[in-house]
Amino acid sequence: MAEALEWMQYVLAPQVINGASIGVAVVLMALGLTIIFGLLDVINMAHGEFYAMGAYAAVILIAIGIPFWWALLLTPLFMAVVGYAVERTLIQRVFHSKDRHTLTLLLTFGLAIVLEDVLKIAFGANPMRIETPIGGSIEVFGLFFPNYRMFVMGMGSAIVAAVWIFIFRTRVGAIVRAAAFDRHMTASLGVPVNKVYALTFALGVALAGIAGVLLAPIYSVFPTMGRDFVLIAFSVVIIGGMGSIKGAVIAGLLLTQIQSISSLYISPVWSDPLLFGCMVLVLMWRPQGLFGRLGHG
Amino acid sequence: MRQTILSASVIAAMLFCAGVQAQSDPIKIGVVTPLSGTYAGIGQQVKWGLDLATKEINASGGIAGRKVELIYEDEEANPAVAVQKAEKLLQVSKVDFLTGTVNSGSTLAVGQVAERNNRLASTTVSFADSITADKCSPNMFRVNARAGMQSAALAEWLAKAKPNANVYYLGPDYEMGRSTVAAFKAAAEAKGAKTAGEVFAPLDNKDYSPYFGQIRGARPNVIYTSVAGNDTVRLMTQMAEFGLNRNLQVLGASGTVTSQNLAAIGKAADGFVTGVGYSTTIDNPINKKFVADFEAAYKAQPDLYGADSYGLMYFYKAAVEKAKSTDTDKVREAMRGLQWDTPQGTKTMRAGDHQAMQDMYAVQVNDGKFVIVGKVDADAAIGPDTCTKF
Repeated sequence: MAEALEWMQYVLAPQVINGASIGVAVVLMALGLTIIFGLLDVINMAHGEFYAMGAYAAVILIAIGIPFWWALLLTPLFMAVVGYAVERTLIQRVFHSKDRHTLTLLLTFGLAIVLEDVLKIAFGANPMRIETPIGGSIEVFGLFFPNYRMFVMGMGSAIVAAVWIFIFRTRVGAIVRAAAFDRHMTASLGVPVNKVYALTFALGVALAGIAGVLLAPIYSVFPTMGRDFVLIAFSVVIIGGMGSIKGAVIAGLLLTQIQSISSLYISPVWSDPLLFGCMVLVLMWRPQGLFGRLGHG
Repeated sequence: MRQTILSASVIAAMLFCAGVQAQSDPIKIGVVTPLSGTYAGIGQQVKWGLDLATKEINASGGIAGRKVELIYEDEEANPAVAVQKAEKLLQVSKVDFLTGTVNSGSTLAVGQVAERNNRLASTTVSFADSITADKCSPNMFRVNARAGMQSAALAEWLAKAKPNANVYYLGPDYEMGRSTVAAFKAAAEAKGAKTAGEVFAPLDNKDYSPYFGQIRGARPNVIYTSVAGNDTVRLMTQMAEFGLNRNLQVLGASGTVTSQNLAAIGKAADGFVTGVGYSTTIDNPINKKFVADFEAAYKAQPDLYGADSYGLMYFYKAAVEKAKSTDTDKVREAMRGLQWDTPQGTKTMRAGDHQAMQDMYAVQVNDGKFVIVGKVDADAAIGPDTCTKF
C-alpha cells in the first residue's frame, strides 16, 4: 500500500502534471482552430505557421532588447493584426464562393507552405533558443517542477478562461455566437458580420501566436515547429467536435493525459500514433465529435 | 576573329596544363558534414580539425608535394542528404577521398556510395559498432573510437565507482543510439551492473519530459545516455529542471557532452562521466601543440571530433605518401596496418576491419572541465574483429 502511494506520488503525479502543462498549450492552439472553424466555417491549415510566426516574433523582440514579458504581450497583438489582414485580403476573396470549403482549405494550406519557407529563408533552418524567463524549480511534496512549466500552465488556463468568458458572457461574444448560428439573420439586425469574421479570425491567430511565445523557451524555435504541433491540435478539435470550445478544452486535456500516462508503460514515441488512433475511433463512432458546434450548443 | 584567337589560346593553355596536371593539381578531399541542424556543433569541430591540419600540411609542402583542398557539403545529419552530397562530390568535384560524416546512418550510406564509385572514405565521428563490424566496407576506414571501445573504459570505471549500479538507458532512436546502448549494456552487465530499463527517443527530440515517467518508475541509480549535440543540452537541462539527476550518476557516450555543448549545458553537466578516446589533458607534445594552435585559431577548445578529424588528415597523408599514389587500391593497401601519430598518441589502423586502435579514457566533468579518471589500453579496449566482408 505504501509502495502504491509512493508510486503515485513519485511516478504518476509528475507525469500527470507535466501532461497538463503540455495540454494547456495544446488547448490554446486548438481553441484558435475551433473558433475559426465554428464561426467562419474555415479550416485554417496555416494555424501551425501562425504559431511559428508568434515564436519568431518573440525571438526578434527579445533580440532587440525587449523583455520576454513585453514580447508575450506584444506578439499576440502583432499576430492579431496579421490575422486580420489575412482574413480581409485573402480569405474574404474566396469566402463567398460556392466551393468555400475546398478553396479556403487550399488557400490556407498554400499560405502555410509559403510562410514556412519564408521563415526558413529569413531565419535559417537551425533551431533558435529563447532563454527561459523564469528559471529554477519549485519543490512540491518532494517533487521538482520547473517554474516555467508551472507558469505556462497558469497563464494558459487564464487565457482559456478569458476566451470562454469573452465568448459566452459578453455582448460581443453573443454577437460572435449569433453570427456563427445564422449570419444572414445577424446581418439583417445591423451587425457588420464581415468585421466580426475578421476579428474572430484575428483572435484565433493571436491565440496561436501566444502559444508560440509560451512554448518557445521549452521547445525552441524552428521553421517547421508548427507542423507537428498543429496535427495534435487538429486531432483535438476533431475529437472535441469541430467548432466546440468546450470540446477543444476537454479533449485537449484528456488526450494529453492519455499520452502522458501511456508514456509510463510504452515508449513516448507511440504517443502520437495513440492520439491519431483515438481520432480514428471517434470519427468511426461519433463523427460529429464529443460536443456540438459553437452557437449550436 | 577575336573570339577565335581567344579560344585558341584557351585550348593551348589547357593542353599545356594537362601535361603537368598529375603533379601540381591539388588533392581534393570532400567533406560531407552537418553544418546545420542538431549536429551542426559537431560538424563545426570536424571542420576546424580538418582545416587546421590542412593548413599545417599545406604550409609544410602538402601531401607528396601536392597541395590539399577541402570541399565542404552540408549533410544536415540526414543520410538521404549525405548520399546526394557524396555523389555530387565524387561525380562533379571528382574528389580523391571522402570524410566528415557524423550521423552513423550517413556514414554507412556514404560508405556504400564510396564503394560504388571505387573511392575511399573515412569517418572521424560516427560511433556505431556496425560500421567496422557486420556492416564494414572495404572502402570505409574509421579513425575514431567506436561505441564498444568507449564502453570498455566507461564500464571499467563504473564497476569501481558504483559496484551496485542499476542502470537506465536512454538513446537516440537510430543506428548510433541503439549501437552505443547495446555496447555499453553488454560491457556493464559483464562487470556486474543491473539493467533497470531502456527507452529510445527520436533524433532532435524537443521535450524529454514525457520520458521521465518511465525513468522514475524504474528507479535507477545510474542513467546512461548516448544522445549528442543539442539533444544533450535539452535532455540535461530538463533533467535538472525536474530534479531527476539528484542522487543519480549520469554516464554517457563520448559524444554526449563535449566542449562544444558543455557551455550550453552549464552546471547540469557536473559529475557526468564518459568513456572517450580524447581529452585536452592527454599529456604528449603533439596534443599540447594541437590544443594551443586550435585555441589560437578558433577561440574554442578542441573536443574528440576536432582531434580525430585533425588526426585523419595525417592518416591520409601517411597513407598516400606510403603508397606514392592516390590510387584507391594502393592507398587502401597502405592504410591497412598503418601506424601514425595523433594528439591521442600513436594509432594503429587494424587491417581486418579498418578500425583504428587507441588508448581509451574515462573522463569526468568537474566544474566545467574534463578530468581523466580512468584509462584502458588500446589492446584491451578494441574487442574482437567481426568484419567478414574482406
